[in-house]
Amino acid sequence: MDLDIELFRYSRSIYGGDETIIGANWDLLGFFVAASMTFIVLHIICKIVFLKRIAGSH
Amino acid sequence: MSSVANKSSDAANSNSGRVERHKLADRLYHWIMALAVVSLMTTAFLPILGIKFEWVTIHWISGIVLALCVAFHMIRALGWQDKWLMIIDARDLSNGVRILKRSLGQASPAPVKPGKYNGLQKLYHLGVAFFILALIGSGILMLMKIDTPFWKRNPYFLDDGDWGLVYTVHGFGAMFMVSMVMIHVYFAIRPDEWHLTRSMFRGWMTRKEYQEHHDASRWQASDKT
Repeated sequence: MDLDIELFRYSRSIYGGDETIIGANWDLLGFFVAASMTFIVLHIICKIVFLKRIAGSH
Repeated sequence: MSSVANKSSDAANSNSGRVERHKLADRLYHWIMALAVVSLMTTAFLPILGIKFEWVTIHWISGIVLALCVAFHMIRALGWQDKWLMIIDARDLSNGVRILKRSLGQASPAPVKPGKYNGLQKLYHLGVAFFILALIGSGILMLMKIDTPFWKRNPYFLDDGDWGLVYTVHGFGAMFMVSMVMIHVYFAIRPDEWHLTRSMFRGWMTRKEYQEHHDASRWQASDKT
């Protein structure tokens, strides 16, 4: 599985020269959404699993 | 010290049934900022996802609204409110260790009640403040590239490499904010946090909720009449 993902977007001037970073790679948006959803799911699971152990906290 | 103790005792023992958590000014700030953030994220990402429309004007105006909201909040919080309520302190760190130990089944004293905000809320605020300020800073620079009623565009304000850096900061800040907003909404809709969500609409929480979730000596909430 190819996980070679660019972090940035690049462009080259029509007048030549080196490639220049022009911004973040928007394909990463899906990873940010997935990371949030993963956090949410893990938090729900941890709350259910560990609630009794921490229940005497307050 | 005695006036603090008296106020703490008054809030805990008053008979009105409710304590004030957020004043109207703070609730208005929160919801205006929320609308601005939703507008910014909508105008930022829908065109990227393929839904094309004239988004730039709405985006920069919403950005100005966000910047003004944040400026209002910073001045008010630092000048008129207790900024220490949002500073992560030793007790927050200690509570974090205690919760972690208990979660792992290790013997540990029970975590103590937080003040107005617990350690994770303070950590979240720190993170979102960082990303919002990065977005506002890079956004203000990007305003130089558009025509507004107040100035003419100057795309040569920075060179290509520097503009790339500005756009990169803005882009990653925006994507991080998507995550932060999702997590914030999740905590707002959790049933065990509804008393906090209600307080951002109504401004108050019940005395029972206040005593159950907060240490009155660390957050002296006033009675809500």
